[in-house]
Amino acid sequence: MCTHANKVAGLTAPRDVYHGPSWAQRRATICGGVAVVMLGSMLWGVSLCAAQSTQDAPSPDAIGPPTMLSDQITHFVADSVAQTAGQPSWIVERRACEGCPPRSVGKALFQTTVVNVFYGLANLIRGQVTAKVTPKTWWANMEQGWVWDLDDFTVNQIGHPYQGNNYFNTGRANGLSFYESAAVAAFGSSTWEYFGETNHASLNDFINTTLGGIALGEMFHRTAWLVRDTRATGRGRLWSEIGATALDPITGVNRFMRGDSSRVTDKPADMVPSNLAASGAAGVLWRGTQGNDFTADAQAFVEVDAVYGDPDKGHSRTPYDAFAMKLRFGGGSSLSEARVRGRLLGQPLGDGGVQFSVVQSYDFQKNDAYATGSQSFEGAFGFTHNLSSTTRFLMLGWGGLTVLGAIDSLPIGLSEVPVEEETGDAGQGVSEGPRFYDYGPGSDFGVTAIFSRNNRPFATIFYEGRHLFSLDGVRANHFLQRGRVDLALPLRGAFGVGVTGEYFDRRTFYQDPAATRVNYHYPQVRVYLTWGLS
Amino acid sequence: MHTWVRGLCLLALAPAIAFAQAAPQTPPSQPAGGVSRAWFVAGGAFATLRGDCQECEQDFPYRHSGAVMVDGGYRVNARMDVGAEVFWMPIDTSQGNIRTTHLDAVAQFRPWASHGFFLKGGAGMAFVRNWVDTLSPDSFNEKGLSVIIGGGWVVRPTSRLGLQFFATQHAFALGDLQASQGLINDVIGNRWSVGAAVVIR
Repeated sequence: MCTHANKVAGLTAPRDVYHGPSWAQRRATICGGVAVVMLGSMLWGVSLCAAQSTQDAPSPDAIGPPTMLSDQITHFVADSVAQTAGQPSWIVERRACEGCPPRSVGKALFQTTVVNVFYGLANLIRGQVTAKVTPKTWWANMEQGWVWDLDDFTVNQIGHPYQGNNYFNTGRANGLSFYESAAVAAFGSSTWEYFGETNHASLNDFINTTLGGIALGEMFHRTAWLVRDTRATGRGRLWSEIGATALDPITGVNRFMRGDSSRVTDKPADMVPSNLAASGAAGVLWRGTQGNDFTADAQAFVEVDAVYGDPDKGHSRTPYDAFAMKLRFGGGSSLSEARVRGRLLGQPLGDGGVQFSVVQSYDFQKNDAYATGSQSFEGAFGFTHNLSSTTRFLMLGWGGLTVLGAIDSLPIGLSEVPVEEETGDAGQGVSEGPRFYDYGPGSDFGVTAIFSRNNRPFATIFYEGRHLFSLDGVRANHFLQRGRVDLALPLRGAFGVGVTGEYFDRRTFYQDPAATRVNYHYPQVRVYLTWGLS
Repeated sequence: MHTWVRGLCLLALAPAIAFAQAAPQTPPSQPAGGVSRAWFVAGGAFATLRGDCQECEQDFPYRHSGAVMVDGGYRVNARMDVGAEVFWMPIDTSQGNIRTTHLDAVAQFRPWASHGFFLKGGAGMAFVRNWVDTLSPDSFNEKGLSVIIGGGWVVRPTSRLGLQFFATQHAFALGDLQASQGLINDVIGNRWSVGAAVVIR
């Protein structure tokens, strides 16, 4: 049934999972390095933000239309017909506001191509044969069309979305709106797939780069604007711009090149969140086994959680004016969880007690029960109730569609990934497979209840289910479940301690003649120190 | 300044004056209350389809045919329309025939408001009905993931009635597909199409 299984069945020696251990390890190291830099920048950035008070951004309704940047630009262009000599220079420079970048679609598309050339040259310098592109390889790729690729899981689920974030931010850095920049991300992704590598254009890369790039891109763009202190001058200003550039290099470089990095202005109003809550956690976890026994080995982890804006209230048509982000490093994997959920639109229902939102999600999870990554869109209903003047209860339920998800998967009959010796015949950068994870669309749903006191959660109950049907790989339905209970106790100041009990469950229903069914599950306990960053 | 020079200047500026006068009559980016935001496109295309699978050795043929495309949706602003698209293509083969239907959520975006150039992208589901006469009188049906990218030019982009020329590429991932050669795994097909359509806003 499965070509992967056929390949594996012929193995006599241990084989590599993807395309050679040295390259896979090197890529993992690079990803780990990038992740550590990002974490450091974020921790520093968020702590900087803690020192800067968040100002009440006027709600889109308060401002009145236009709420989207594209509409603002349209109005601006209309207004500039009647421009007079006394108008501020920023209007002449095609900026939507004084602190906004000047608008240029052409520059955005050009810089997207520059990003592609940059990645291509970097691959060439690293000796990848896939970077030796010629017009012949371009034509071959166009003749072939889209295929599934065999690349490493982390490269496809983390690396490509990060690259997509660069494309997206060429749009944001040049004054384009969220949705306009989304089109730029798709442009950058498709041109990279066809013209940036000798590999055939990969459908999974295109989706992950575009959708993941949009989610990560807007998250990094807004986080960088938190770090940037545009009213400051001197060394403090320089370092805030450098910190922001670490998070959003494309916008940062554009600002340095244009001289915006030293101009004293207000921040763009839509880059100032109405609220900001962030916390860090560091601790250890103990993972259980299939028999629910706990191992003695504790694994260290560090986690960052942030909530930008007010996801649970407000009429909003501004994408990502509210988002939640979680990153966890360690705990069995260099990056064990990355999650971004950005609100695309929000609408209070009834008397405002219930909030409806449309959300875009980027997910990456790697644990002993499963490794999965996905690009999804969900509808969410939230309900908030004040139990007292300081205690609040929030309940949130969501469900939606997964455009494309990846799930680790073994051919029937194997219990662990075989190790393959690297042959090196195909050259560095060429993935020959077999690939022990599969791709397909699916759905997801979940519910969470959060009790908080003075805006600090002290009890959280969380459940999430995800279904994926593998269209490429071992044909199967995968059903993943995860339940979690967090308890947090405030200590002194911003510090606290927490304990979390988690349970991971995975059921795989293979579509073979015997209808094979496999079940993995394990419990996990985490103990950690927390600190509020805002 | 001489009168004839003034005359020439006026003549040179005439189109600009006319444009400035005509501008208020063009539809605004946000239609006023009561004005429809509906977006409708219907047209035809010439399409080339090629099925393939991830680890097949066969060299699959390119098959050509006509196709029908219909979009319906919502005008978000002057630059962007979103909605759903149906793209249908029947092909006769030596073993029978294949009918593919794509149902996608699409967004069509014009980077420059004053020009008709647009980019298009979307994703949804693909439905394939494959009649293999030598195997069965009934069709073998599969459904899977569909992705579309494309671009084109729309003439009269801001008026109620326009015409668009487009080039698109569809990809559809089906999983398994029964063909005359047997059951093929990890099928992924590509379709390239060029066509024209009427646009109604």
